[in-house]
Amino acid sequence: MATLQNSLPLTKPKANRKVNSGAIITRAVVYGILILGCLYTLVPFLWMILTSFKTATEMIKLPPTIFPEHFTVQSYKAIFTDPHVPLARFYTNSIIVSVAIVFMVLFTSSLAGFVFAKYRFWGKDFFFTMILATMMIPFQVLMIPAYLILVKLGLVDNLMGLIVPSATSAFGIFLMRQFVESIPSELIDAARIDGSSEFGIYARIVLPQMGAALATLGIFQFMGTWNDYLWPLIVITSTEKRTLPIMLSWYSSQHGARADLTMAASILVIIPVLITYFIFQRWVVRGIALTGFK
Amino acid sequence: MSTATPKRSGLFRKQHTFVGSTLTPVMLYMMFFTFIPMIWGIAITFFHYSPTRLGGFLGFGGENPFAGLANYADLFADNPNGQLFRLSLGNTLIFSLLYLPLNLIITVPLAVLIESINLKMKVVFRTIYFLPVVTSAVAVSLVWGVIYNPTFGLLNALLQRFGISGMAWLSDPSKFVLGIPVAMLCVLVAYLWSDMGYNLVIFIAGLQGIPDVYREAAVMDGANAWQRFWFVTLPLLQSTMTFVTVMTMLSSWQVFVIFYILTGKGGPSNLTRTLVLHIYETAFRYQEMGLAATVAVVLFIIIMITTLLQLRFMRKEWEY
Repeated sequence: MATLQNSLPLTKPKANRKVNSGAIITRAVVYGILILGCLYTLVPFLWMILTSFKTATEMIKLPPTIFPEHFTVQSYKAIFTDPHVPLARFYTNSIIVSVAIVFMVLFTSSLAGFVFAKYRFWGKDFFFTMILATMMIPFQVLMIPAYLILVKLGLVDNLMGLIVPSATSAFGIFLMRQFVESIPSELIDAARIDGSSEFGIYARIVLPQMGAALATLGIFQFMGTWNDYLWPLIVITSTEKRTLPIMLSWYSSQHGARADLTMAASILVIIPVLITYFIFQRWVVRGIALTGFK
Repeated sequence: MSTATPKRSGLFRKQHTFVGSTLTPVMLYMMFFTFIPMIWGIAITFFHYSPTRLGGFLGFGGENPFAGLANYADLFADNPNGQLFRLSLGNTLIFSLLYLPLNLIITVPLAVLIESINLKMKVVFRTIYFLPVVTSAVAVSLVWGVIYNPTFGLLNALLQRFGISGMAWLSDPSKFVLGIPVAMLCVLVAYLWSDMGYNLVIFIAGLQGIPDVYREAAVMDGANAWQRFWFVTLPLLQSTMTFVTVMTMLSSWQVFVIFYILTGKGGPSNLTRTLVLHIYETAFRYQEMGLAATVAVVLFIIIMITTLLQLRFMRKEWEY
């Protein structure tokens, strides 16, 4: 962050007046490119929003319009009142699955991360390497046998089938271990001398200090689970157990020619994640930087 | 760590009980959903396996007979299974080989530009560029499907305004650019849109980690902005670059949703059918799990080899 304030004066050579116009041009070019990139990023979102407010008749008009001629919310109304689309049910399913997975992952990751960071025991490095190794296995290799396991457990076409295999996270344990290592061991020893149990140390000393880490992991897990498609596609077969992304692809296969409807449905599906992202934007970015950087 | 702990055996026993009672269930759980499926997944590659047929223990044997290496031989055979596999492999290869450079060419300069402006605007740009990453892949596929649509799509509407006649971007199997199907290029553009914010954020973090002294020294030596980027920033970014290259390659081999929805299960004429799509269709549409698992194992081996090669070629012998 300080990089820029420090380096800008340095880029200004001695002949100040001469370079000023050059610096302005450079800055204009930089902003020009960045704004061009933003257009690429934002146009599909705008198109999604604009299309969702068009009327059904406008959709089949030639040549196609860019801005809606008559702003209307009839596509949203159509989705909300469609008896074949129990939207509240789909939202509930997505929320149940996401919230359950987030809480279980936060609990198991923080506990295992704490153990790996602050205890010495036989086989510690071996077990930790095993956990990291599971991150290397692509999901596509596991999905067929994992499905067969669910068949044996009787969890196919059941929300539990989405939750149970995701209760632990190798990435989560890795992230939590990194965070717990920065908590001073003296604090833990002090609690131990005061007679706290080991679980008490975890619950009362370690957890309260991990707010930022838990938020980061929780948001990641929430967004990943909410948007997950392939696994629910395999596990869920009946209508009333669908999560939102499955509902969305099914809905678009029913109303493929009605872009006004599919775009409105898309907006309804992505809004909870976008809101979460805007609120917790800093944590999201920090989390990625942490995992990606060294 | 526990060096400050008084060496009383009671305390140690308490700690060991805690470690054992917490870690054992977590480890067993993880193994149950990773290593067991892994072994099972390899085992069924040697069987003609379908959960819909009756078999013996875990479905092996009975109507799911042992097949030896037949599933592996099928990948090279001159039958529909083999042809579809090789077609999917080729498409996945084209996609991942094009996607990695495309992504880097755009995200590295963008990250440098974003890093060079003031903090407030930096956050604004970063927030915008990251938006598609948190958007559901299904919604991404649907909106790009609407953009590419030949009748009511935005792309053709814009082209018509400039007097250029549009085309069926995703469904015309006869259109190629430099030997690459137009539909594949369309998927690349859409996937880049949904994914580039991720690498961008990592590169920005990487740039912030480079100590200022190196760029300052380069300025002292009279290097211009381009030279500073090419000879100082880029080489110092290598550890980030290695990470990003490996991760992007890994994930581009595993892209599924956009090929499943945007191009309608790998269309036109299977020109965008990828390995993961092939695995999914074979396993869950045609219920040929033995064959699908074989393709999955091959995919795993390819990914492993690619990753190891990348790590080997990008090893660096310095640290700052």
